[in-house]
Amino acid sequence: MSRISGRISTQSKDQNNLLVLLEEAQSKFGCLSQEIMSELAKSVGVSISEVYGAATFYAFLSTKPQGRNVIRICKSLPCFLKNSELIIESVGREIGIQPGETTPDGKFTFQLTNCIGACDKAPAMMINNEVYGDLTSKKIMAILKACK
Amino acid sequence: MKNIAITINGLQLTGREDMTIFEVAQANGINIPTLCYKSELPPIGACRICVVEVEGSRTLVGSCHTPIAEGMVVHTHSPKVLATRKVIIELLLASHCGTCFMCSKANMCELRSIAADLDMGLPQVPTRRLYYPVEDVSPYVIRDLSKCILCRRCVRACREIAKQNVFAVAYRGFESKIVVDFDQPIDTDVCRDCDVCISFCPTGALSRPSKVTDEKKGRPLIICD
Amino acid sequence: MPEKRIVLRNCNAIKPNRISTYLAGGGFEALSKVRGMSPEQVIEEIKASGLRGRGGAGFPCGLKWELAKNSEGDGKYVICNADEGEVGTFKDRYILERDPFTLIEGMAIAGHAIGAESGYIYLRAEYHYLLDSLMKAIEQVRKRGFLEQFDIDIREGAGAYICGEESALMDSIEGKRGEVRYRPPFPPTKGLWGKPTIINNVETLMNIPQIILNGAAWFDQMGTERSKGTKVFSVSGDVERPGVYELMLGSSLRELVEDLAMAQRVKIVQVGGATGRIIPYSMLDTPLSFETVLGAGAITIFDESRDTIDIVYRTLEFLAEESCGKCAPCREGTEALVGILSKFSRGEGESRDIVVLEQLSQAMMLSSLCGLGQAAPIPVMDSLQHFRDDYENRIAEKMAVQ
Repeated sequence: MSRISGRISTQSKDQNNLLVLLEEAQSKFGCLSQEIMSELAKSVGVSISEVYGAATFYAFLSTKPQGRNVIRICKSLPCFLKNSELIIESVGREIGIQPGETTPDGKFTFQLTNCIGACDKAPAMMINNEVYGDLTSKKIMAILKACK
Repeated sequence: MKNIAITINGLQLTGREDMTIFEVAQANGINIPTLCYKSELPPIGACRICVVEVEGSRTLVGSCHTPIAEGMVVHTHSPKVLATRKVIIELLLASHCGTCFMCSKANMCELRSIAADLDMGLPQVPTRRLYYPVEDVSPYVIRDLSKCILCRRCVRACREIAKQNVFAVAYRGFESKIVVDFDQPIDTDVCRDCDVCISFCPTGALSRPSKVTDEKKGRPLIICD
Repeated sequence: MPEKRIVLRNCNAIKPNRISTYLAGGGFEALSKVRGMSPEQVIEEIKASGLRGRGGAGFPCGLKWELAKNSEGDGKYVICNADEGEVGTFKDRYILERDPFTLIEGMAIAGHAIGAESGYIYLRAEYHYLLDSLMKAIEQVRKRGFLEQFDIDIREGAGAYICGEESALMDSIEGKRGEVRYRPPFPPTKGLWGKPTIINNVETLMNIPQIILNGAAWFDQMGTERSKGTKVFSVSGDVERPGVYELMLGSSLRELVEDLAMAQRVKIVQVGGATGRIIPYSMLDTPLSFETVLGAGAITIFDESRDTIDIVYRTLEFLAEESCGKCAPCREGTEALVGILSKFSRGEGESRDIVVLEQLSQAMMLSSLCGLGQAAPIPVMDSLQHFRDDYENRIAEKMAVQ
């Protein structure tokens, strides 16, 4: 993450870097609040609508607050064939929320995602930027336990 | 600029080399329907209603944005073209709110008029309808996004002609929506009284507030699926 | 035919974090050779090799480069498409993890050929964990002085399948929503920020240094008439040995699926991911080539226990979610296809729904703005062609219940 921040500071704040700036803000603050988006709109010189339009287009950008650990379980076919539905169930049971929700303590956000390119290790999921493959219910318990 | 010879519907026509198929057709009295193109605005090729058959092309091509080329042979109303246009209109109607009988756009609606031209029946496709509350807080414009077909004319007109940037497209795919700020109802803070977007809207999604009194306004029609 | 490693030759052979291991195996010799050649000579070589794009569309690589070279204007760009989002594809990840140097060398050669001074690698958000190692690899190459005439930066996606489509990819690099543009103009004429641009898949660029070193004739004698060289496949699903395999183009699907990946009781092979073809077991001897089936090389295998309609339904759900929403036939059509397929999967399909599926598919293929909308109906059409009984049985079952 630190590298990205380093790179951005050398980037001019113009329209062409809007996505890079949104990505940076997302990783720094965990979500794109209206305050952040307004500020970005002003600094790159586009309307708030345009910033909001770009922010809501991409699945990895969020305009709502997210947990410290964003769990994304792959729901695409290669993982589905390896029983990803059981994994989705296990994770839901373990952290007590449904896909699309965030735990009240702000520890986890639970999402389903499309193919993450880890089909050779299906079923797979991501927690923040880390990929976990060949998942089993048992493995998941250990992985979730290690999350801070 | 060079003149280019093309054939449209069997007619030998010529156009300047920077012209699109749509422009040449129009200049020669051939009417190609469209929902997103307007000569005052840059083309975007979004509605795909203006597609035409160009011999040698694997797919149909959008006439509003495809430049003419020497020797091009175009069919604007072939069976393949008409069948395709019909399906697209059917799709748009299927997710449209379907309250034509009480829509103030009435016969001025371009979606409805193209549907009539194509002899459309009732849509066969099972599609979700997206209902949005009517935005009527602004004294200048009422937005009823349940009637929006995402042609983006308002987005472009606001940017190119009114020189503002009030609108943008947000979200993705079927959930796409033309938004103001953080998806808020349009109000006087962001939009002044210029009417430009309203005049470009092909449907009843954007309209001028009519001078009815509040008690006559009534509640929006709610249809239960 | 056993595996043939050209693209993957350095994978697991060099250390991806040590440029010296790459140099020891002849790394950057192709770039040095190219510096002594004119751009025309380089392009001639690539054209003569018959190399076609590995991202799915199969456009002749040399021709693309030539168009960009001949386009007027300075500030041209080379973009490497590393937005591998097609369902069941992970070969580019495998390559980026193991051999970033060949890719960088390939891009630098492309830069020399078209006269570009800068390039971008567009990396999908899901591969963010590769960013650091890629940056370090670029830095090592830069330190060795190989990027003095042509430099490379990385841009990251943010979770959008459509950004693998070249025009959406450019919009995304430009900081906008990753929406598709109409064409013409094509990127080699008017691409990133309106400048002449070539966009090549990771695997395409991986072939370049080898073609330069060994010559076009060497490459041209591999593969089939119109599909030269090898192809890297990502194999997953109901198989014993999922993974990445590189085979000569023209090898049979059976060889890959049954012999190498050890699949059993195969019912369906989806070749090319969500927008790819649905191949029934009876057609397993089909050769893998641009003339037949290929896509970006995603091979997903479904055994006899799997339900065809469920596969198609889930595929279309993916495409509907990932449609950018700009053009009406794709935005509304994918949603409508999902609606009809969900009826079938609930056992509520009717005969007339099949007619609607076919009409919709036809219109979407003919009128959508980009490849996503044009190819989205392929799983529907293919399954209706090869597994029509599955649809009709559902309808019959429903009738029987009533």
